[in-house]
Amino acid sequence: MTEENPSQAQPEQPEIPKKPRVKPKKDPRAKLYKPETPLILASSPHFHTRDTVPRIMWNVILALVPATVLAVVYFQWAAVGIILTSVSSALVAEMLVNRVKGEAFTIPDGSALITGLLLALTLPPSFSLGSTALGSFFAIIVGKHFFGGLGYNIFNPALLGRAFLQASFPVPMTTWTWPLTARYADVDGVTAATPLGLFKFEGISSELSGLLTGNISGSLGETSAIAILIGGLYLLIRKYADWRIPLSFLLATFLVSGVFWWISPESYPSPVFQLLSGGLMLGAFFMATDMVTSPVTALGAWIFGAGAGFILVIIRLFGGLPEGVMYSILLMNAFTPLINRYTRPKFFGEIRA
Amino acid sequence: MSSTISLKTEFVKGIWKENPVMASLLGLCPALAVTNAAMNGLAMGLATTFVLLSSSLMISALRNFIPHQVRIAGYIVIIATFVTVADRFLAAYLPVISASLGPYIPLIVVNCLILGRQEAFSSRNGIGRSLLDSLGMGLGFILVLVVLGIIREILGSGSIFGVAILGDWFTPWMIMILPPGAFLTLGILIALANWYNDTSRSKDGGVVS
Amino acid sequence: MSKMSLSTRMILVLTLITVLSGGILAGWDLVTKPKIAFHRLEALKTAIGDVLPAHDTYTSEETEFGTLYIATRDSSDDPIGFAFMAVGSGFQGELRIMVGLTPDMTQLTGIKVLEQIETPGLGTKIVVDPSNKQDPYWFPAQFVGIHVSPEIVAIKNVKPTHNNEVQGITGATISSIAVTNILNKQIADIQKAWASKGGPES
Repeated sequence: MTEENPSQAQPEQPEIPKKPRVKPKKDPRAKLYKPETPLILASSPHFHTRDTVPRIMWNVILALVPATVLAVVYFQWAAVGIILTSVSSALVAEMLVNRVKGEAFTIPDGSALITGLLLALTLPPSFSLGSTALGSFFAIIVGKHFFGGLGYNIFNPALLGRAFLQASFPVPMTTWTWPLTARYADVDGVTAATPLGLFKFEGISSELSGLLTGNISGSLGETSAIAILIGGLYLLIRKYADWRIPLSFLLATFLVSGVFWWISPESYPSPVFQLLSGGLMLGAFFMATDMVTSPVTALGAWIFGAGAGFILVIIRLFGGLPEGVMYSILLMNAFTPLINRYTRPKFFGEIRA
Repeated sequence: MSSTISLKTEFVKGIWKENPVMASLLGLCPALAVTNAAMNGLAMGLATTFVLLSSSLMISALRNFIPHQVRIAGYIVIIATFVTVADRFLAAYLPVISASLGPYIPLIVVNCLILGRQEAFSSRNGIGRSLLDSLGMGLGFILVLVVLGIIREILGSGSIFGVAILGDWFTPWMIMILPPGAFLTLGILIALANWYNDTSRSKDGGVVS
Repeated sequence: MSKMSLSTRMILVLTLITVLSGGILAGWDLVTKPKIAFHRLEALKTAIGDVLPAHDTYTSEETEFGTLYIATRDSSDDPIGFAFMAVGSGFQGELRIMVGLTPDMTQLTGIKVLEQIETPGLGTKIVVDPSNKQDPYWFPAQFVGIHVSPEIVAIKNVKPTHNNEVQGITGATISSIAVTNILNKQIADIQKAWASKGGPES
């Protein structure tokens, strides 16, 4: 056939070697950091603030300093070990994924560091370092990069890492020790239930002063409400977090648990106790406010926070576990695309169909 | 029925290229539910292959007699018969495995892999080809279930086929023997298989067959 | 065949298929039924043997709260223990527990969880705890000799000191409490049922 019709075969032939090979895509974000080209044609918005991804991330890390310092003060070498392991494993995992995907190294943007640090702050002080590293790897590789990397992840990577550890090692994840500075420090490494666990399974309330300063048993960075508030308020004032999310989260928790407490103060803990105990403060200020996984609209932020607060109280009061901050935020993360869709602001002049 | 496809192709396609779980995502319920140990995966795979083979035999033999309008009803009755046979066989001769698989053996009836092969293949092909096709598909199914079972058992219990291989230093990842571990493992396996297929295709010069 | 109307053919073919299936199943049932019944009986015998002290035979008595198995020795008619199946909800699904009682029904002689779908690695410790290498059956074993009144209590973090206390499972508080709740409720029921049938000899 081809011998008889050389004219037909010819135009097809040179095309095959010409076919451009698909190059591995470079990280589009790399452009945003160092604009090198003199002329950029782009759609709106044309006015930018000086905020960049690294700038926001490093500010979040700054805001986490008080909670981290207190974790080290209360739990000492245990905290240092877990924090260093978690952060370094997160960085290594990020580097590995960068290498496999053939993209620019994304460690300087600080997001992997935050994930590692946040994960460390949610772990119990007696947790093993090997499992900590595993959780960090899961958070970065599955939680973040399987979904496409920073900006594409549906769920907060640190919480996903924690959820993985919770499901994998349920006993170590719920074995708590008293801070070395606490009342029972004379007994080395004695296990102790968290204030929420004490209330749920034994009906014992804890003192509020301990909840405020953090001299109680619990995860590394969640014991002191004050330290988290300082960092959280810094984020809100610098506008690196949407104030509506923590406010609505805390408000919903307070109101819903208040209703139950009002109905039966003997069987349900007081709303103040609910606000200050467990990981609520850390979750509300640092995890629920994650820009990637929370709604972008103002109304959406209210819905997101309120939903998380409602789910939290339901899990704490009626679920099998004493604590539910992680699950409440992860569940609302899943709803975020839907919330964004239904709270989309109208175009100027748009008429509802 | 004459066909241009070689008998070998009919047999081999089910193992990798048209693997029921990895390529067609059929039979996911048992693939996810019973693979918390390698032995359970193997038993489920064998039971499913038995049902697949015997119903293929019967349906390809009867294919010219069953009216088109009632074919699904006919297929389901035939499949259900062999599932019951397999279920009672396990209960009578292998009670331990029967207990650990629980309700998932009767649930083979609704495994879309089986009905899918009958509708797509056995009802249109002769007995020989249908059996080869079923055997290939069954082997592909067993392969995936056993691999899933082995990965989940190693990480979730530190053993393979019930034999402990990882020492005391290893803390089992409980999540791997829970449902999320099944989804994670299967998802990663499918991603790896697609990645492998993509890279080997682009080496052939970008031609997708 | 082609002369037949379509609906007649459909009826005929489906009838044939069902008759064939029924035949296969009936034949297979004849082969497997005795074997399956044998395994069931063996399982029941083993379970009763596990929760009661050595006995020669047992009889079963139907009560309004299920079957009560009365174990005796050949030498005398006096029961040496009672066993029954306690059923109730655990953390995730139904628990079926074989319970052994002393003849006066005041102490447990043993329990065995036969069916459960608790969380693997946590709630499943009510059956066997692979993480405890020395004594994997520590949880069910501690019920031997436990007094059933006023009621069995699962306690946490401290060693049991009373004869009605057992140690709960760390991380599986709900499963541990589910077991004691099921026992407390159904032992009381079975005591009532037996009392109304003539009662324990006491």
